Amino acid sequence: MHSADDPVHRSKNHFHPSTAQASNGYEGDYTVPHTRSAPSQNAFFSPQSAFYSSSSQQTIPTNQVASSMELLSNNPFLNVGIKAVGDSMKDITGKTVNMLPNEMKKSLSSIKDYFAVDQIYVMKKLSLLLFPFRPRNWSVGYSADGPVPPRVDTNAPDYYIPLMSVMTYVLVAGLVLGTQNRFTPEQLGMHASSALVWNIIEIGLLCLTFYILNIQSKLRTLDLIAYCGYKYVGMIAALSSYLATHSLFVYRCSLLYVSISLSYFLIKCLRLKILPDTSGSHTYNANGNARRVYLLLAIVLIQPLFIWYLTRHLIVT
Amino acid sequence: MGFSLYSLIEAALLCVNAVAILNEQRFLSKINVNDQNYPGAGAYGNDHQNAGGAKQQLLTLIRSVRTVMRVPLIAFNIITILFLILFG
Repeated sequence: MHSADDPVHRSKNHFHPSTAQASNGYEGDYTVPHTRSAPSQNAFFSPQSAFYSSSSQQTIPTNQVASSMELLSNNPFLNVGIKAVGDSMKDITGKTVNMLPNEMKKSLSSIKDYFAVDQIYVMKKLSLLLFPFRPRNWSVGYSADGPVPPRVDTNAPDYYIPLMSVMTYVLVAGLVLGTQNRFTPEQLGMHASSALVWNIIEIGLLCLTFYILNIQSKLRTLDLIAYCGYKYVGMIAALSSYLATHSLFVYRCSLLYVSISLSYFLIKCLRLKILPDTSGSHTYNANGNARRVYLLLAIVLIQPLFIWYLTRHLIVT
Repeated sequence: MGFSLYSLIEAALLCVNAVAILNEQRFLSKINVNDQNYPGAGAYGNDHQNAGGAKQQLLTLIRSVRTVMRVPLIAFNIITILFLILFG
């Protein structure tokens, strides 16, 4: 990425700090982009200066680099242009967001809460997905306005892990195909769009089932999307065990273990949300209870099916 | 396995078309007759939402999809046909 050849490439890389600052206001106190942009500016000079051995050659390329970058960053026309584009984008998105109904506006802003994770949460959640069998408290804290951010409560669902694990799944699938000499770059795009399409189908069918069976539960659609995304972690685990050992037996064992642990995890998480509250004031009839149990079982059983289906074409006996 | 986003859109369009062309007289009225004799016994409080249960919900869904999507479906179908003619 930091190719030492072209000033144009270097100047393109230099644009990132300004756009990162424009988007930081949106991301709030998520501080990683700050620290990522600063070393990249220093990194321009150190490989460049390390590449050229003699001191005289050292000064000339760095001077050229410095002057070209100063030219581009101090150029008033470019600054005005960048600012104009940024403002118009904010304008357009502001107008389209204001046209949406109120409920969608609230869910759009609450999506930000799902991404408010930190490292401790990610470590805990990943270890929980792979080994949920220790006795613990599974209830999620209650917040009146929107979802509980995962930084506060470990049991809350998030979008970071599913998103990252989908991308990692595509890459690991590419790796597995590569070891079998079946890899072409189109496979990556095909796997990504397949994962997206199957996710859309699954969530659409589940929402439809919730509606048809007339089940009012505390589970929001956004939470359901997060819970359906946790199976990709298991898929990555099964695929990497196959990648490491190339043995069908190990793959099947890890598939079984991942399915069991994911099912246990999902039952424990969703039980409190879908099944009726025994201490509540509503008295649900027996049909409603049975339907909820069946729906919970359906959700939990679909996940291992998907894990098996989306990985089986990568396995060659 | 090689699903693309376009095949999902095509499948969804075909499904909505199928829902839209259901014949009222032959099909939907038969389901309606069996259902309306039991208008949700004990329909007070929360049970009122559960009146008839799955079948009522399904019928409501079908009826609303047909009402809402009649006109936009014409547009979607024309666009899809044009795409398929032009781009194969």
